[in-house]
Amino acid sequence: MRHFALHIELALRNVFRNRRRSLYALATIAMGALGLFTFMGFNHGLMRQYRDNTIRARWGYGQLYVAGYRGKAHTRPWEMWVENPQDVMNTLRNLPGIVDLFPRLTVNAILTAGELSIAGQGEGIDGIAEARFFDQLNYIEGSDFKDRRDGIVLGQGLARGLGVHVGDEVVLVTQDSKMKTRSVKVAVTGVFHTGSQEFDSRAFRLPIKLAQSLLETDRVESIAVALSSDDGWPAFAAAAKKALPELEAIPFDELDRIYYRHAVDWLDAQFRFIRSVILLVVFLGIFNVISMTVMERTTEIGALRANGESRLAVFCGMELEAAALGLLGGLLGLLAGWALSTGPLSAGIPMPPAPGITRSFRIFIELGFADALEVLGLCGLTSVFGCILPVWRGARMPIAQALRHV
Amino acid sequence: MTPLYEIRSVSYRYKLDGQHIQALSGISLNVCQGEFLALAGPSGSGKTTLLNVLGLLDRPGEGAVLFEGENVSRLSERERTLLRRERIGFIFQNFNLIPTLTAHENVEYFLLKRKTGRIEARARVLRALEAVGIAAQANQWPNSMSGGQRQRVAIARALVRQPQVVLADEPTASLDQSTGLAVIELMKRLNREQGMTCIFSTHDPKIIAAADRVVHLTDGRVIE
Repeated sequence: MRHFALHIELALRNVFRNRRRSLYALATIAMGALGLFTFMGFNHGLMRQYRDNTIRARWGYGQLYVAGYRGKAHTRPWEMWVENPQDVMNTLRNLPGIVDLFPRLTVNAILTAGELSIAGQGEGIDGIAEARFFDQLNYIEGSDFKDRRDGIVLGQGLARGLGVHVGDEVVLVTQDSKMKTRSVKVAVTGVFHTGSQEFDSRAFRLPIKLAQSLLETDRVESIAVALSSDDGWPAFAAAAKKALPELEAIPFDELDRIYYRHAVDWLDAQFRFIRSVILLVVFLGIFNVISMTVMERTTEIGALRANGESRLAVFCGMELEAAALGLLGGLLGLLAGWALSTGPLSAGIPMPPAPGITRSFRIFIELGFADALEVLGLCGLTSVFGCILPVWRGARMPIAQALRHV
Repeated sequence: MTPLYEIRSVSYRYKLDGQHIQALSGISLNVCQGEFLALAGPSGSGKTTLLNVLGLLDRPGEGAVLFEGENVSRLSERERTLLRRERIGFIFQNFNLIPTLTAHENVEYFLLKRKTGRIEARARVLRALEAVGIAAQANQWPNSMSGGQRQRVAIARALVRQPQVVLADEPTASLDQSTGLAVIELMKRLNREQGMTCIFSTHDPKIIAAADRVVHLTDGRVIE
């Protein structure tokens, strides 16, 4: 142990006293660490934006359905909708982490404006409640219907197909649960888009009371959930299962598997690749610096070996120096990353509109402790691995040849 | 009395720019314990190569080197390293001090690596630095010292481990003549006081004159 401490002491002494050489190595490693750490923070910021947008645009943190309803075809679907939704919501409001609840009901209807008719799939919603939470729906014209009882918002493709704008009237024609045709005249209060052309060309939203009266039901199809914290879903889902076993709680990333989950997986794969490239650059930088260092120190290695240092001792000593350089450089990079994110980049990085979003936004660099540890570990390991070959070559050089080296 | 070194028909050849150079040709030589021996000869005569072979830095191509009766030519790398660590000290023409260590630390380094306690190491280093007359410069960096001072540190580094033999390759070549003579006088004094064998190479007649015995080399052969 004492001998190991001595090796560490000697390694650190060499690092701090070889200022010029250490500075090159530290700069290389610190730049790599800075790039990696900031990139990870950017990645987290981007993912958070994407997640928040998905949650607050449409899905909430998740939704509750009658168990066995979702994902299957039913001949009489209305029989599998949530009964007594008000009682259910009262029960849910007592569960941990609940901020708000949003009952929803799907309506399939023919929308007619003048002589044009298009089939659409709508969602009855509580306009006032949803306006409080769903602030990320991308309106390109007007806004939601709030407390207006005959208001409707249309997907961009649907509005274009019908040739309507905010203030125009549209007639909805649908069949209720008894196969009786019903119609109602509604006013367009807004036009939105989600980025999915297919979805926007048939989607609309209307007040849930109106949807219930059109379908002649007092049930709701689902209840979307707003929670107080991002990590609250598992606890809520467990409590909901206990309190209301006839319902199943499905998180938003499962509901939006096609767009959100796949996009996250796709971005993750890209980020992993970019991270590998950064690591490779750091590795090559370290390899280069250490190779030059070993070359500069060839006579020193020769003198050490001549005086009875074993190859392994020389190798271990230099590896320890490399590890120290890696950790110190990594630490400097982390500090620089922190300074950057709390200084020049504290207002976020302006980004153009992402796919499916109409407005530009800012990504905030989110630095995490786990990321810092990972970057530090990677810097140490990359330094150690990056210098294995040059150090081993130096340590294996014939002593007489090493001593002659100029 | 068994000689410290028995060198039996040692030859050494190396390749330079595609050509084979015969550095040593069938050298046979005995060196006794406590000798102050000079290897003299012009550049390229094989002095450094012979010192490298004696110091176990190179293996002879042919022949054998016996150290205290043991054939060390065929020892494993690990055994050679151990032997160098315990029994052989080196002094180089270019000093080869570690530039990031002070004079004191340069001398102390190999003691600490040999697991000598810090207090004992400090005392031994101080004694070695005093013996070479450089204790006052103990905390100086090699780069801030004169050539003579650096060579004294190198001598202290070789002495502090109390080796049986000190091999010095042109120890005065990087020094002016008076400093060179002072260094060789110092080595001779230490050889007498501490009884360690000293083999050094030189082509300077004034330095050669200080030796107890001189072995002349020409074209890799001994001319006594």
